Amino acid sequence: MSIMQYNGGSVIAMVGKDCVAIASDLRLGNQSLGISSNFEKIFAMTERTYVGLPGLATDVTTLHEQLRYRLNMYTIKEERTMEPETFIHLVSSTLYEKRWGPYFIEPVLAGMQKTPSGAFRPFVASTDLIGCINFAKDFVVAGTASEKLFGVAEGLWEPDLEPEDLFETISQTLLNAVDRDAYSGWGAVVHVITKDKVVKRTLKGRMD
Amino acid sequence: MFLTRSEYDRGVNTFSPEGRLFQVEYAIEAIKLGSTTVGVKTPEGVVLAVEKRVQSPLLESSSIEKIMEIDGHLGCAMSGLTADARTMIDHARVTSQNHAFTYDERIKVESVTQAVCDLALRFGESVHDEDAMMSRPFGVALLIAGIDELGPQLFHTDPSGTFVRYEAKAIGSGSEAAQTELQDKWHSQMTLREAQTLTLRVLKQVMEEKLDHHNVQLAQVTPQAGFEILDEVRLKEIVDAM
Amino acid sequence: MPDGSYERPQQRQFNPYSENGGTILAIAGADFSVIAGDTRQSEGYSIQTRYAPKVFRLTERAVLAVNGFAADGNMFVKKVKQRLEWYRHAHAKDMPLRAIARLIQTMLYAQRFFPYYVYNILGGIEEDGTGAVYSFDPVGSYEREACRAAGAAQSLVQPFLDNQIYFKNQTPAPGTNHPTHLPLPDVLSIVIDSFTSATERHIEVGDGLEIYVVLAKGRSTQELASIGGLQELSTRAEGDRMFVIRRDLKKD
Repeated sequence: MSIMQYNGGSVIAMVGKDCVAIASDLRLGNQSLGISSNFEKIFAMTERTYVGLPGLATDVTTLHEQLRYRLNMYTIKEERTMEPETFIHLVSSTLYEKRWGPYFIEPVLAGMQKTPSGAFRPFVASTDLIGCINFAKDFVVAGTASEKLFGVAEGLWEPDLEPEDLFETISQTLLNAVDRDAYSGWGAVVHVITKDKVVKRTLKGRMD
Repeated sequence: MFLTRSEYDRGVNTFSPEGRLFQVEYAIEAIKLGSTTVGVKTPEGVVLAVEKRVQSPLLESSSIEKIMEIDGHLGCAMSGLTADARTMIDHARVTSQNHAFTYDERIKVESVTQAVCDLALRFGESVHDEDAMMSRPFGVALLIAGIDELGPQLFHTDPSGTFVRYEAKAIGSGSEAAQTELQDKWHSQMTLREAQTLTLRVLKQVMEEKLDHHNVQLAQVTPQAGFEILDEVRLKEIVDAM
Repeated sequence: MPDGSYERPQQRQFNPYSENGGTILAIAGADFSVIAGDTRQSEGYSIQTRYAPKVFRLTERAVLAVNGFAADGNMFVKKVKQRLEWYRHAHAKDMPLRAIARLIQTMLYAQRFFPYYVYNILGGIEEDGTGAVYSFDPVGSYEREACRAAGAAQSLVQPFLDNQIYFKNQTPAPGTNHPTHLPLPDVLSIVIDSFTSATERHIEVGDGLEIYVVLAKGRSTQELASIGGLQELSTRAEGDRMFVIRRDLKKD
């Protein structure tokens, strides 16, 4: 039985038109036994950078705290907010440090990257459990339902979706994918991030 | 026909010089001693009737089983050495269930008839590593009645393994006279009720004892209710109305 | 892994099975059925061939798609075809679809202790003229469904089908209902989209796509008129009709 499947859970992030969205389920289990329907896996690291951490639950908490520590040190020293593209590199090096005894997490990141002109562009990325970065143009997926997420996302996603449409697309992708996975589900949340605001919504889905 | 016996009639699977299998023909003769059995097909279903031939008043007539169910939509009546029919009917039942199990559908009437007839010529001496065969042919003829997607059908089988489809057929001791009567009275638009009355009238004509609801048995196959042997109440009602 | 070193006892054994990749999919409509499969056959990271059909015509109205271990799949189809022929000779009729489905179950279960490593999907027109899809596991457990995906990209395609065919997690507009069956052009689009998506994200899927379309007797073929590269397999215009549509998929 794989450690990556011990607690269950899945995350997805998608690119839209001047927006990004990141969504996850809320399940925490002990193999087949469901323990919590309330286990948040997406964390706001900065105002415009959100990271989802699916995998072994203890590492979810530990890695979040590690990243928060390092991010805070950066913010204090550099006196500026870390951009998402930088943050994913921070995630990568933090994971690779533990190359021979890794964190059992496959992080997923969504954020709005500041461009030299002062505008923002949508940014998503993910890494494997030892820090190899995937810079995707469309979407990234991770967790026990990752294959299902790939399938539905590939079918439903299209470029330049407005925030409302991106919300619908990512929600349908997540819901239909986790409904085919015994280890994911038990509630879902979606964050839609634009340059001005972040809207967090809770989805109504199957609770079995 | 068999007034002059030749030396070719003892060996069960020996051909005579004229190309006849005497044992098979003798088996067919045996059926002419059996109790009369009649079958009539109508657009509404098929009717089977048998003369029970109750030999003694001490005989429990309800124990005489000459009509048997093969499946929900199939039944058959026998005449001749009725004990021989048990093996054939069991084979028919197994074939029918195997078909339903394998194909999730009801077996065709002709298919189950063919399966029964496939048994007929498996007699004689068996080779060492082959399955054992019967020592002699079956001494019984069957009237198989059923309904499938082609509608109601009636088939006659005999010890030679031949089967023929009939609109109406009589077998057994009174079969010659009965068959003539059927030929006279049968028509293609008979109702089930008319067929029931006809079969009983035909039996009445050829039976030695007076026909009542204890010494005959009636059965039918219909699309609505499948195969049923009529109980005493229904049988008595039809006999009395005759 | 046995490697010939002397550290501990080792044993090699012949593995009778291998996995040849690929994906199949079938969707049933009100009076039609669509059965599709990609044409790539692989083993590990190698492509054995870009064109090995996995979807086969059984009768005028039945199509069988087989996926898993190709040797078992091909042999199984041959055996099913043989049984269909024997049935035709014994019972003077074509086997109805539900009978073929049951037969497949008994054939698979007969090998319960050395199974055919194959996931079967049977599609076609039922005796009552409705479109049908039956799906099987390797030892014969089966069920009639509206749609099913099987094979390497099953986990990618099935949830997409749940959403697009069964409208799962979708609420209809107030006062309306989701349609129970989709029209043929919609179904074909969903099939093609499923395979292009699977090809993108799964290495064992690609090269080509073959879609069999079976239409019930009397059903109009108008909706297929605009489809390019259509090939008719049916022999009579008055019976159930069968067509094949071939398309390319990405070869990487």
